[in-house]
Amino acid sequence: MFVLPPPPRYTNGALYNGLPGGVGLLETTNKLEHPTGPDYQLVVGEGTYVLRDDLLLATPPPHPSDAPQPNNNPLATTVSPPTAGTKLSVVVISPRNPPSHALFRSAVAQGTRNNITHSIQEEVSSPKSDAGSAHYYNQLPAFGDQNPALAPVVTKGNKKDQKAKPKNNMVKSNSSYVSRVIPHENMQKRITERSPQGLFAFANVNRAFMWLDLSSETKTDNMAKVLFTKAHVLAHAVNEHTKSIQHLDLALGFNTSDIIWYEPVTQKYARLNKNGVINQSAVAAIAWLPRKENLFVAAHFDGTLVVYDKEKEDAEFVKEESVEADHANGASKVHFHVLKSVQSRNQKTNPVAVWKVSNLKANNLAFSPDGQLLAIVSEDGCLTILDYINEKVLDVFRSYYGALTCVTWSPDGRYVLTGGQDDLISIWSIAERALVARCVGHDSWVTDIKFDTWRCDERNYRFGSVGEDCRLLLWDFSVGMLGRPKNTSVRHRGSVSSHGPGVGGHQRKESSQSIQQVRTASTLATVDSEGDGSRASEVVHAVDSKSSTAILPPVMSKIADKHPLMWVGFEEHCIITSCIDGHVREWDRPKEGSGDNQTTDGSSLDS
Amino acid sequence: MSFLSKFKSGTLPSVAANPTPAKAGSRPPLTTPLERRLGDVSGPARTDGSDKFFGIENYGSTWYVALWQDETSVKSLLRRKASRAKLTKPVNSYCSSIIQCLYYSTPFREHVLNFPSKEVIEILAADSPDGIPSEPRAISAVPYPNITSPARKEAPVTSPTPGMPRPEDAKDSPDNKKKQVIKTGPVLKMVADRSNTYYMDESLFTNLRDIFEAIISQSSRTGVVSPHRFLEILRRENEAFRSAMHQDAHEFLNLLLNEVMDNVEAFSKQHPNLALPQANGTVAKTNGVRNRLDTHWVHDLFEGLLTSETRCLTCENTSQRDEVFLDLSVDLAAHTSVTSCLRKFSEEEMLCERNKFHCDNCGGLQEAEKRMKIKRLPRILALHLKRFKYTEDLQRLHKLFHKVVYPFYLRLFNTTDDAQDADRLYELYSVVVHIGGGPYHGHYVSIVKTQDRGWLLFDDELVEPVDKSYVLSFFGGEPVPSAQDAKQLACAYVLFYQETTLEAMLKEQEMEGQQAPPLAARSSDAEAAAQASYALTIAKNGLHQTHTANIPGHEEMDHMETLAHAVTAPAIPSPPAAPMANPISIPFAPVKSKKEIKAEEKAAKAQQKADQKALEQKRRDMSARRIEAWKKQDEELKRVMEESKLTATEESMRRGDEQTLSTSPAAEKGSGFSKFTRASSMSLRGKPKLFSSLKEKTSSTPVAPPPAPSSGMATTPAVDDAAKATALQEDVFEDGEHSEKPGIASDEQTRRFSKHRFSFARKKAGVA
Repeated sequence: MFVLPPPPRYTNGALYNGLPGGVGLLETTNKLEHPTGPDYQLVVGEGTYVLRDDLLLATPPPHPSDAPQPNNNPLATTVSPPTAGTKLSVVVISPRNPPSHALFRSAVAQGTRNNITHSIQEEVSSPKSDAGSAHYYNQLPAFGDQNPALAPVVTKGNKKDQKAKPKNNMVKSNSSYVSRVIPHENMQKRITERSPQGLFAFANVNRAFMWLDLSSETKTDNMAKVLFTKAHVLAHAVNEHTKSIQHLDLALGFNTSDIIWYEPVTQKYARLNKNGVINQSAVAAIAWLPRKENLFVAAHFDGTLVVYDKEKEDAEFVKEESVEADHANGASKVHFHVLKSVQSRNQKTNPVAVWKVSNLKANNLAFSPDGQLLAIVSEDGCLTILDYINEKVLDVFRSYYGALTCVTWSPDGRYVLTGGQDDLISIWSIAERALVARCVGHDSWVTDIKFDTWRCDERNYRFGSVGEDCRLLLWDFSVGMLGRPKNTSVRHRGSVSSHGPGVGGHQRKESSQSIQQVRTASTLATVDSEGDGSRASEVVHAVDSKSSTAILPPVMSKIADKHPLMWVGFEEHCIITSCIDGHVREWDRPKEGSGDNQTTDGSSLDS
Repeated sequence: MSFLSKFKSGTLPSVAANPTPAKAGSRPPLTTPLERRLGDVSGPARTDGSDKFFGIENYGSTWYVALWQDETSVKSLLRRKASRAKLTKPVNSYCSSIIQCLYYSTPFREHVLNFPSKEVIEILAADSPDGIPSEPRAISAVPYPNITSPARKEAPVTSPTPGMPRPEDAKDSPDNKKKQVIKTGPVLKMVADRSNTYYMDESLFTNLRDIFEAIISQSSRTGVVSPHRFLEILRRENEAFRSAMHQDAHEFLNLLLNEVMDNVEAFSKQHPNLALPQANGTVAKTNGVRNRLDTHWVHDLFEGLLTSETRCLTCENTSQRDEVFLDLSVDLAAHTSVTSCLRKFSEEEMLCERNKFHCDNCGGLQEAEKRMKIKRLPRILALHLKRFKYTEDLQRLHKLFHKVVYPFYLRLFNTTDDAQDADRLYELYSVVVHIGGGPYHGHYVSIVKTQDRGWLLFDDELVEPVDKSYVLSFFGGEPVPSAQDAKQLACAYVLFYQETTLEAMLKEQEMEGQQAPPLAARSSDAEAAAQASYALTIAKNGLHQTHTANIPGHEEMDHMETLAHAVTAPAIPSPPAAPMANPISIPFAPVKSKKEIKAEEKAAKAQQKADQKALEQKRRDMSARRIEAWKKQDEELKRVMEESKLTATEESMRRGDEQTLSTSPAAEKGSGFSKFTRASSMSLRGKPKLFSSLKEKTSSTPVAPPPAPSSGMATTPAVDDAAKATALQEDVFEDGEHSEKPGIASDEQTRRFSKHRFSFARKKAGVA
């Protein structure tokens, strides 16, 4: 039966007249609930995940200067600034490396790492090198290390303090951009007394940005909460490379196109791309460059990726078209333009590099575990695999239809997963440069996917996804099966693209080439040795037809919230989901009955 | 005097009520958003009508009026009872929204304009003694203009809530904008029956063609069409649309398509000699006498084929039956996508209990599994989201506000294995939005993608350009009254997807990127090129090969002029409507506005030039700066390049070594994929167990009958044409089924039954 919602009671009545009412000044608090029952359990092969609690992050009331006007026109064409549901950035101070690193190292040590990435890893040494250590990473090429102009920044050492961009204290700031900051009164005490294994989380809700200690018993109390005047944080990321108890580097991307570097422990901040001086469009995604202290990349709504240095001042951005840009653009269909190369000598100011990857919005991005490649998904339905160090596009894959919204790498860097508006999760093999399978199970658009690195090994992968359908889905796939994707055998007739004169012929040739490539490693080798020219011609891959593609069903599907889910994360002891209006749910992993598991659980709860 | 100015003389209706409407300061706003969107065009309008943007007048009291007069607006709308809505006058936005969607389907529009084609008309004209008739056969009996048309009414004087500024007082309220549009004109009054120009009997189709022709023959790109005659015929022949009740846009779409099919077929039956070449159409095409009478075009565009597979659980025998559809009606669930709705549509369904399946093999009613998949994909996929659901408890329909997301591009998952082009790519080109709290009242608008003017919002008389992201803002979602946002009441109701190709999609994305620097002045050359490229894509699509070459030439223009001429002269001898349409103050009002427009154009052009100059200057500056920076970097760059080349060669040498070592990870694994799926087969798909009943034609009746003459046609009291009456009679006799057509359509169920011949909805227990 359909019951119309009751008429609201406007006790203050002021809001309705467009005047800021008393409500606008009320500060709301987070709420914690513990719903139980079968509706709050995830039953999977390995056991039952149980909802530990549901933390509702308080949506802040609108700023008095930004009170919403009641809209009586259902067709109002005014474009409101973009918003995003609650997303989390989760940090564990120690151990410093998640298990994915271990997996990745073992994969490399076994020499099963794919060929393509090998070719890119210019400095990958023979197996005798210690693949696991920091030494290993130091041997890999790093972003910007061929540009002497960037050198002082990379190895700055003592000069740090002199060169560093001046920073402001967020609490004392009189910027009109920040409305107010509410640090917890015992923040320092809480930081020092908690276990370093505990989970810190950063979350955006509307115009608020919160720092939470999920391992604390009083997790409803924010460590700190920043309220911005009008701007909403759309994306945020923690620098895994620099994290410590005394220091966390956060990059926040806003719907106003601004970017803020934020250090929550000392409440320092610096504002970049102020008023869109470098890029005028909102920030859809943000990520720190692997193993870089100061560099991060932001994906803007206009399809541009901008690499910023948090220590540099901004300068008005002037497009620098370089030789590389033309070269990379040789293949007509590749949407990739280097607007400013990392090799540019002008590195005194931001941006460090600017790349245009799409005409439409770039929705999300992810760095490969070895830090050598960048995967970008965009509104035009493209997955772009970018060798960002050399500023070259390696592959462009297309969704079955509609935009791609999220992307992630397998812990060993062999596979990339994308989710999108086709309700599908697509598994792409980087080595085979092909679609491996499509995962069918969501009832609406997919909003986030992650690998469960605690349940992945060399052969079996576990990943989870969430979507607009409020569902959390878990999936298993194994290397054995994926070794022989159904589609490769029938690929020649599988191409979906229509066969217009000229174009079609080209594409057919392209797909036939890729068959050979998949089948024999030797072909791959020859193609590779041919160099970049031949490579560029086959960067764009055709869409595979549904009849030729393997379908993967989920192992678990559950409505995990009442509202569309926006984010999912896998931690050692739980799965975390967050929804569009601020519910953060933690699902405890199954108890294996062993005391070992229990104790670690307990320890993480201590603070 | 040109036909044009005559048209314009009709722009100001009922001026007697207010003798100085134009002078009284209600000067049109300098530029409307639409004019701005069109501002960069200098050349003449295209002859295919793809760059004409006309609103459609709404005769009822609009939903807006109802809304604004209510002090609590959004809230009250949510609570409004059906009884109150009955007080409102009939609204034709259900029909306007659909007509706009159809007009901007290029193949549909061209087919309408070419049936019968020019050649056929010439042949018929040669046969008939009088040549091409120019006089309308009939003029509407109902007076025009309709005074109740809200856009023509003066603003109500009283303001219910003194404290709050009334929304309609705001200069840019939709109501005011609509009034402006009517004042600015031109208003095309469709009052005459022009069917004899096409040698057809008057029908919904001929009136639809009249509307299309009138829009295209206008030199103005914007204006308003007043589909007076069209509605008259619609109401005359369809009892269901006569009442003051709120009408359903989807039902209207289905009725219109069926009517058009019937009208077209009726015509071909009248002229069997013309229809003949169609039998081998390809020959006819190559002969130059192209496509003399293609009567199948509606089918070609909208019709798809569903295969329903029923597997008897007793004898395991599977029976198949094919059924055609013109649109798909999908059930909704909260937080889903249209992809998922379509998937559910084709999910297996149990026929049991009250709804058993009659198995021919083992005889008698048996439990069975049934599944419907798409065997032939339509070129235009009309998706009806079933937002109006019947609840047994309340004994009435209510609106589902479920959030259902829809992407810009779509492919279908629910196709049969042997379907042709099963991966066909569709693009969203039009959305019909229902605004309102329930099924018995509300308002329809459509958002349509135009050939090269982006997305436009058609709200009755008003046409406004909208952002592309606006299209995806009608997903729905349970309304929160406290949010104070009327937008919550607007949900997508019918989605039109048309077939496209990956190449066309890429081209469009490319264009979007280029358009990003806002509204850079486009030369007419560029436009022509765009047009050409569009024609190319269309040709590639094979969407309408038969008609790409058919851009009307001058001859046809002449023909259309005569048509326009006739329409504008609402023959003075005709009914009581005429007298009021000719007041003295009319002539100079439009002339004046024309002058103003010219002045504006000049100003706009000057502005443009200035802008261009500024842009040019900026560009030069930029390039100068760039060159400077470039020079600085040049040397550095060269050095770096050398370095990188060096490292590259080193690397490639090293790589050569490595490759011999590496093995393919794929090669070593042996197990097959089937095993894999089994391993992870703990699948969950909570399939609804409740599909039990499936009644009506879908399961019990045999294969759908061939298209029958439309419903209301049997009741022909108003038909004054003897020839038409006989033709109808013939039709009725031909199809026995139709004799039971009710003269009284009061029985809702029957009406729906007859109407939904081609609309496929999956009936489930409790819904039917």
